[in-house]
Amino acid sequence: MTGFRRGQAASFLAATAILAMLVHFVVMLLAPFVASQDAFARLAPLGAVNDTVLMQGGSPTAKMLPYADPAMAMAFCRYDLASGPIRVQAPAGRSFSSISFHTRRGLVFYALTDKAAIHGVVEAVLGTPAEVRALAAHDDDESPSHDLRIAAPASEGFVLMRVFSEFPSLYAQAESEAKRLSCKPEAVPH
Amino acid sequence: MAFFVKALLVCALGLGVGLLASAYALSHLSPFDSSRMGPWRLEAHAGSTEIDPYTRARIERSGEIPLAAGEGIQLVARTDDDGRPLDARCVYKVGPRVPSSRYWTLSLIDEDGWPIDNLARRYGFRSSEIMRAGNGDFTITVAAGVEPGNWLPIGAPGRFALALRLYDSPFGATADAIDKSMVPRVARVSCG
Repeated sequence: MTGFRRGQAASFLAATAILAMLVHFVVMLLAPFVASQDAFARLAPLGAVNDTVLMQGGSPTAKMLPYADPAMAMAFCRYDLASGPIRVQAPAGRSFSSISFHTRRGLVFYALTDKAAIHGVVEAVLGTPAEVRALAAHDDDESPSHDLRIAAPASEGFVLMRVFSEFPSLYAQAESEAKRLSCKPEAVPH
Repeated sequence: MAFFVKALLVCALGLGVGLLASAYALSHLSPFDSSRMGPWRLEAHAGSTEIDPYTRARIERSGEIPLAAGEGIQLVARTDDDGRPLDARCVYKVGPRVPSSRYWTLSLIDEDGWPIDNLARRYGFRSSEIMRAGNGDFTITVAAGVEPGNWLPIGAPGRFALALRLYDSPFGATADAIDKSMVPRVARVSCG
């Protein structure tokens, strides 16, 4: 009799554990898709697609993004590659600066620092894999394009520019450098 | 009837435990991608496409934008060297060195990653502005009350955390390779 009860209790616990694990995995995998306060949701209302928006940072009054470095000036632009690829450009200053590429679901898929600057400008063309292929198909063998082309794993997301201020007094200058991030539609040849 | 009651109980318990485990996982570092270096914790793949689902879910929930692997790495300490939670009533000395990087910053944040307001309006230190000893070593004193030298004020009572960011570090993609003896120590000096 006790053996029977023990077996029943074990199957009861096993069923509960399996169900708990299933619920847990479903929640964890869905979380990025239902998160309402993720970085993209916080940034999206601040500007239209392809507009460069300077983020208010550096102090506790602007609770924009947690774990943001108060020494970093940040600007971003949203992209929507459904309407075509974009050209991302930013001048490199004398301090550290970087451009990172994010999908709207929290994936960082590429980054460039000021070390990648050519003639003082960091530049890349961002498109969907199909758009990148279309651009490559029109490359001229005689005078190949020098563009750095990045294929985005999702059509929506944002490009973030970070500029380091070496001293608090240089923060305003870092902000004006970050504001020079530009995201413009890039024509695809037909 | 008894079976129905048991099945209902299994469903309720399974749902409850599953949701509790998820709530915990969404507010704590991923067990699959966090390494420990002294008191510092690091999510080595948070800023790459190799991010694991736990880290990704936590980051999406918190709203932070992780540093990309090529930009730098972020280390967060919530305890001192001896594993005691960082407490605003105590005084800490942080130093004397950091792993190699072009620039680094050390800032003080609350448990959710927000800077804490303080009268000195000092939220962190940059490697480029810090006072150092002749051999390049540094000490940052983290305390609620005024301290000489590199003083990082704790603006609010309770627990807090320290964030160390290494920009343009050769360890960007191989953060696990950082020599543990190179991360700064977080030593508790006294407690009021």
